[in-house]
Amino acid sequence: MSGRRRLGLVAAGATILAAAPISSIFDSYTWLMQCLLTVGLIAGAAVGARTLRFPAWAQALSMIVVLLLTLTWLFPSGEEFLIPTPSTFGHFADLFTQAGQDTRSYGVPVPDRDGLLFVTVLGIGSVAIAVDLLTVVARKPALAGLPMLAIYSVPVAVYVDSVPVLPFIIGAFGFLWLLVSDNIDRVRRFGRRFTGDGRDVDVWEPSPLAAAGRRLGVVGVVAAVLLPLLVPTISGGLLSRLTQTGSGVGVGPGNGTGGRINLFASLSGQLSRTDEVDLVRLKTDEATPYYLRFGVADQLTANGFGSTTPTGENIAQGLPDPRTGTAGGTFTEHRAQIEITDKLAQGMLPVYQNTVGVDGLQNGWFFDDNQQVVYSNRRSTRELNYTFDYVRARYTPALLRQAEQLSPDDPIFKRNTAHPDDPTVTAEVKRLTAGKTTQYDKIRALYEFFSTKNGFTYRLSTQPIANSSEIAAFLQTKVGYCQQYAAALAWMAREAGIPARVAFGFTRGEKDGDTYVISNRNAHAWTEVYLKGFGWVPFDATPAANVAGAARSDYAPDVDLPEPSTTASETAAVPGADPSAAAGGVDRPDRPDFRDPSTAGSSGPETAGMSGTSLTIIGLAALLLALLLVPALRRVLVRRHRHAVTAPKQPKVRSLEGPGDIVVTAEVVKARADAHAAWDELMDTMVDFRIPIDPSETPRVTARRLVDDAMLLEEPATAATLLGTAEERARYARKPLEGGELTVALSRVRKGLARSANRRTRIGAVLMPPSVLMRWRLGLADASARLVGVGGRVREVLAKASPRRLLPHRSR
Amino acid sequence: MTTPTWDEPGGPLPSEEFRAATHAIMANIEQVIEGKGATVRLALAVLLAEGHLLIEDVPGVGKTKLAKALARSIDCSVRRIQFTPDLLPSDVTGVSVYNQETRDFEFKPGAVFANLVVGDEINRASPKTQSALLECMEERQVTVDGTTYELQAPFMVIATQNPIEMEGTYPLPEAQRDRFTARIAMGYPDPRAELAMLDGHDAHDPLNDLRSVTDAATVRRLIATARDVHAAEAVQQYAIALVTATREAPELRLGASPRSTLQLIRTAKAVAALEGRDYVLPDDLQALAVPVLAHRIIPTADAQLNRRTTDAIVSEIVHRLPLPHDRGRSPYDTRNGGPATNQYESRGR
Repeated sequence: MSGRRRLGLVAAGATILAAAPISSIFDSYTWLMQCLLTVGLIAGAAVGARTLRFPAWAQALSMIVVLLLTLTWLFPSGEEFLIPTPSTFGHFADLFTQAGQDTRSYGVPVPDRDGLLFVTVLGIGSVAIAVDLLTVVARKPALAGLPMLAIYSVPVAVYVDSVPVLPFIIGAFGFLWLLVSDNIDRVRRFGRRFTGDGRDVDVWEPSPLAAAGRRLGVVGVVAAVLLPLLVPTISGGLLSRLTQTGSGVGVGPGNGTGGRINLFASLSGQLSRTDEVDLVRLKTDEATPYYLRFGVADQLTANGFGSTTPTGENIAQGLPDPRTGTAGGTFTEHRAQIEITDKLAQGMLPVYQNTVGVDGLQNGWFFDDNQQVVYSNRRSTRELNYTFDYVRARYTPALLRQAEQLSPDDPIFKRNTAHPDDPTVTAEVKRLTAGKTTQYDKIRALYEFFSTKNGFTYRLSTQPIANSSEIAAFLQTKVGYCQQYAAALAWMAREAGIPARVAFGFTRGEKDGDTYVISNRNAHAWTEVYLKGFGWVPFDATPAANVAGAARSDYAPDVDLPEPSTTASETAAVPGADPSAAAGGVDRPDRPDFRDPSTAGSSGPETAGMSGTSLTIIGLAALLLALLLVPALRRVLVRRHRHAVTAPKQPKVRSLEGPGDIVVTAEVVKARADAHAAWDELMDTMVDFRIPIDPSETPRVTARRLVDDAMLLEEPATAATLLGTAEERARYARKPLEGGELTVALSRVRKGLARSANRRTRIGAVLMPPSVLMRWRLGLADASARLVGVGGRVREVLAKASPRRLLPHRSR
Repeated sequence: MTTPTWDEPGGPLPSEEFRAATHAIMANIEQVIEGKGATVRLALAVLLAEGHLLIEDVPGVGKTKLAKALARSIDCSVRRIQFTPDLLPSDVTGVSVYNQETRDFEFKPGAVFANLVVGDEINRASPKTQSALLECMEERQVTVDGTTYELQAPFMVIATQNPIEMEGTYPLPEAQRDRFTARIAMGYPDPRAELAMLDGHDAHDPLNDLRSVTDAATVRRLIATARDVHAAEAVQQYAIALVTATREAPELRLGASPRSTLQLIRTAKAVAALEGRDYVLPDDLQALAVPVLAHRIIPTADAQLNRRTTDAIVSEIVHRLPLPHDRGRSPYDTRNGGPATNQYESRGR
């Protein structure tokens, strides 16, 4: 029964190895010590139970009891001595609760918390028991992989994006070790084992036949590790990185499903890029319009901005006009027409800010005065076609500086400045707004904070930081997409006492004639700030270079561009979104098409990336093609080499005795070489055309068979016979055939063969010549056989030096 | 008797004369034996290879007729021995008899003292008599009462025998079989040749009309010409490989002797000369392997039980054996050699 006992120990070891992924959860290695102790004790209990020949249920029970005792010892409540009492279980329940709280309040890696350690030790101990029972009692070690996998699922669940690879490899090898041990034990029960050369295999050594299994195991693990890196499933894969480039706008997950866009500006997350789908076609008489807008999120939590259900009046009762005093600035009136495709189906209507009238809508659309959104609870935007009038408000910094602080009792202030406490944000806002007096200067300072100069970059996923809130993580890592920028700026504005919220909508899209085509890639989020006397003023903090169709305004210029002096824009009291004045913005009148490569930033990296990708793909394809053509090329080279007139070499004169005095002159040597080359070429050609070669055949017979088999007609038949005769004489006669048109004969034979062969054979002979492939294969086989031979000799030499062969054979 | 010694066969003939002479002989024989061109050619080749011919077949297919026709075509001394169970060795080699007049023993030459000796139904004689032929066939001399007598050149024994399964036969010992260069079977004629035979032979035997077309001196020169044929190293290697293969074949108890290698090459040279070539081809060896090798080898009991004839074994070897390449191993030759095949053989302990 020593095999079973050993297997039990292996099961314990494999469990410990499989527990390796836990190391990425904990800060220190206390858990490992405790788990080692627990698993070791459980294994000891199992071995003891088996030595005493307990039945299976008693073995399981003894292990459970040992686990319980170990837990009591490691996590005492203080009232018992090793023997668990009811209070111990009460303590365990407390530890459980504590662990639950800890999982919510701590980020990975966690410090040594009693609750978490307790849960870990309990889990690993249970897995150890399960693995032991499955392996030793049930003899189903493959099933033991399931509890081991359960351990691995813990870091998978904890880490959102990627899980460390090394623990997986360690765990996989633990599992393989278990399988190998079980099978060795299984084979041993048959009795003595032999190697291929008839020698006994000792107990300690695996069968030489197991080498294949070991190799398979390693290959499997390597494939399991490498494959996910290559397969473009998750946007961390190599392929998806190669093929996905450039900018991503988008309002987070859910924008693809059911044509809805989730109105939640998350402070962390990841954008999954989907295919580009056209959503909206828009015509407007405004030269360069600002963002189309449909939703607002103004409920700030620690995770980001969420939206509230809009309430309001039917639009049939008319929309408020901002020019009546609710907003300041200069206004121009415009009219736009919108056509929505069937891909966008939501209850929020995309319109411009300050829309004063909508035509072409059925009944059932409402306007929320607070959020300034048009919504419907019953209808959807799907395939809507409508026109609307709007006024474009334009501001200058000078104008905006006149905005006063809103009274704290104002409902707008109350609603839009509520925010969770976060020390990082408080400190940051305090630092940025120090010395700023006006509302506008404060928000401008906050807005300018999100510049590439400060290290902010656009990325499709955020990076979490352990033990810090999402906003703090974003402010620290400075990577994210529009949602994070919009939400962070809004939060910071609220922190500074300025009402702020996040608006959702679309950037301008691609211009097609006088129409803007807006796709899901144009979905965007930005910040709106309430300035008294001006209403909601948009600020887009997302780096403009990465947002297709990004627009900047005079009061909030692109912070990443060489700044035109603010004074200049102050004096030029030009409307904000007016492109003619937005000298610093991406919207320049001379370059109206933001897709134009010369336009600032936004499309630059994208086109470069695209071309890089396509270049890579083309390059790979070309490489593949070139690799495929290598055999054909090799064949052509061989043929040309053989056809090449070999320069007459200095003949090696051999004195031959007897009457058979062979004539040796340069011409004869050359004639022989030519004949041999032609014959070799003929052999290869035959192989190419799948006519079998028989090494026991003489040239004469081969030539005759070639004529018969391939049904060669006059010219090729004569040519084949000539080649046979030439080779025959070159090999066996005193004087070789001279002056034979061997090259011509060869090409004739080849033509004849091509005529009688079918198309597939013909193409194969040119593109994948079997002769070259066979030579390579034979060469490979020879080389590997030689390698095996050398390896065998080395092993024999080493075996002589091995002390193991002196050991008595314990297997008998 | 002033006969040239064996070592002075005369100069080789130019190829035209050679062809004319050999064609004349073959045409002459084919007047008698119809439709057996290959057999006739082989018989002539054996003559030119300075060998001896064993014709083995069932009775009545023309064995004796072929032997006699060949003998008659050449103007040389011909003796015929009809082997019977009571034939004595002295009848073959000769005997010393006491001459009353000279009061001395006088040697009376036996039947072997001729250029061509036709031994009819050789396996009907007792082994004692059969072995009397041994010395003269290989060494071309006869020793009687301590005196050695040289035989004439050319010297050729053409023996016929019935298959050993026939009644009243003593199988030839392998030592004697090994001395025959080639064993050929006549085989039944095809229907057309048999019809022609009926037309021509019913009234009288055309053998009686046969005139000699050449003489011993010319034959010696023919032999010299055949000796001059070139056998390339590759061909020689192939011959050795063939013979070695019979020695290593698991189905054979006794392989072919080194003498057979020599005779194989010699016969191949003769065949090549008859075909107008001055070099031997492996094709010649392949064609000659069965006639030259098959009668010398002894199959194992297993092979005999499996009804494997020696002919079949030799042809299988010919088909299996790769041609030696004077430029190394053929790249497509995967059946033999290669380091991969015997890697496990040396591993035993």
